[in-house]
Amino acid sequence: MEFAIFFLFAAIAVIFALVVVLHRNPVVGALSLVASFFALAVMYVLLEAPFLAALQVIVYAGAIMVLFLFVIMLLNLSHAPEAPTRPVQQFLGYTASAAFGIGLVYYIAKYAVSTTTEGFFQADAHTIGVRMFEAYVFPFEMVSILLLAAIVGALYLSGRALPRPAATASQPGDEVSK
Amino acid sequence: MSGNVAFDATDIVLSIVKIAVILLLWLNVTPIMVWVERRGSALIQDRPGPNRVGPLGLLQSFADALKFILKEDIIPAQAHKWLYTLAPAFGLLPALTTIAVVPWGRAFVIPEMHLFGRTLFEGGRIFNPIIADVSAGILVIFALASLGVYGITIAGWSSANKYSMFGAIRASAQMISYELSLTLAAVSVLLVAGSLRLTEVVAQQTNYYYVLFDIVKIPAWNVLSPAMWLSFIIFFVSAFAETNRLPFDFAEAEAELVAGYHTEYSSMKFALFFMAEYMAMATMSAVITTLYLGGWDIPYYNEPATFLGFLLSFLAFMAKVGFLMFIFVWVRWTIPRLKYDILMRIGWKFFLPLAILNIVIVAAFIAGGWI
Repeated sequence: MEFAIFFLFAAIAVIFALVVVLHRNPVVGALSLVASFFALAVMYVLLEAPFLAALQVIVYAGAIMVLFLFVIMLLNLSHAPEAPTRPVQQFLGYTASAAFGIGLVYYIAKYAVSTTTEGFFQADAHTIGVRMFEAYVFPFEMVSILLLAAIVGALYLSGRALPRPAATASQPGDEVSK
Repeated sequence: MSGNVAFDATDIVLSIVKIAVILLLWLNVTPIMVWVERRGSALIQDRPGPNRVGPLGLLQSFADALKFILKEDIIPAQAHKWLYTLAPAFGLLPALTTIAVVPWGRAFVIPEMHLFGRTLFEGGRIFNPIIADVSAGILVIFALASLGVYGITIAGWSSANKYSMFGAIRASAQMISYELSLTLAAVSVLLVAGSLRLTEVVAQQTNYYYVLFDIVKIPAWNVLSPAMWLSFIIFFVSAFAETNRLPFDFAEAEAELVAGYHTEYSSMKFALFFMAEYMAMATMSAVITTLYLGGWDIPYYNEPATFLGFLLSFLAFMAKVGFLMFIFVWVRWTIPRLKYDILMRIGWKFFLPLAILNIVIVAAFIAGGWI
């Protein structure tokens, strides 16, 4: 039963991840990523970590992807069907990513799968909370400072009252959308 | 998760029964609430309201449902066909699934039965009236609630209509803003209960407090505790924003945006949005009941662990949910829609800091031993 559910949702996750990369419409891509994240959350449930599964959905599927979708819709991004003008770069790009993918699969198959210890591990809210505020309190606080810096930076960039050069200067959004 | 607990055919049947009961209830919420809404609005505005179909217009909703089925299903030529078709389902799914983690009655023991020469419920079996008693209960609610915005957003975008688009953008901005206050307000409840599991949140509220020099005994419902009032108000108001109800229905805003995100929808696709709205309302009422109003608890009455006790607690739960849904209707026809900038200001500059302050207050109450 668990086996069947795992492969079903693994397939869903991989297929939607492929759609994210391959589909031309950015909105469909963003929604596929949501579906992929949701399938990933099912993996956490199968690993008996419903807390992580809920966080996965809240943070990635619920918060981050909504913002992505929001920005895509707001800028009304449309796909620009570009003709392949740089065959050499394209060839190099495909080769490099294929090599990277093969290497990744090889090393994961060789090390990660064989070294996972079988057995019971705890991933409930209590255990994670205690770990986060005892063993990992320093990285945890550092991450929060990093996020704070990002927020302050975004506020500074969006809120500074600089005199605009001229009325003809395009807004940052324009060049993205066309 | 019940990974190591024996799970036999009886459990599967009981689970199916629970799902069927809740599904039937929640699917019937829409016609009933539409009737309550229309008659209620008529009562508030001093007019008769629908009174032609059936006694007191009770069958009006069924006539409406029939009409929905018979209407032509239009897909705009410019619309993104797939997403346009999927959007109503996306909207309905979170509203329908969230209720799975909410307990709706007292657990009771099903006695052993002998039926058709078979022994059923051998040695008595505990019936826990909750579909999925997961350890991350409240987080599952927020996870699914955060997915609720996709239905509206996709509908607005895929319709290829400017009004729909405005509705969708407003809705997504509004819902991610109020989700924060909603979650932070609920944290104080979790602090008191000491668990994310909703059955434990309710179990904690079945206790009693003794106030006024230990003379008066009041139920330990969170809404009755002074430390929780702020949290309750924030949660309740944010719930209106999360379910896109007036005074926060900017996704629809029929006076400004025609019908907002579902302007282009017709027939059963529109009916699905309609159902999603009322089901989300019912689910939100159930969550508020569980978090603040003691869930299925009947005050000053110790429900026995029998079928009768379960039935009484279930009725108490439904009565509380029904009362909250009536307040949803009441508020809709009493308070006009806010301005959009006021909505955003309330969410970010007022509710969010207050919700964080409230966590500190509740933590201080717990540290002081007053809760």
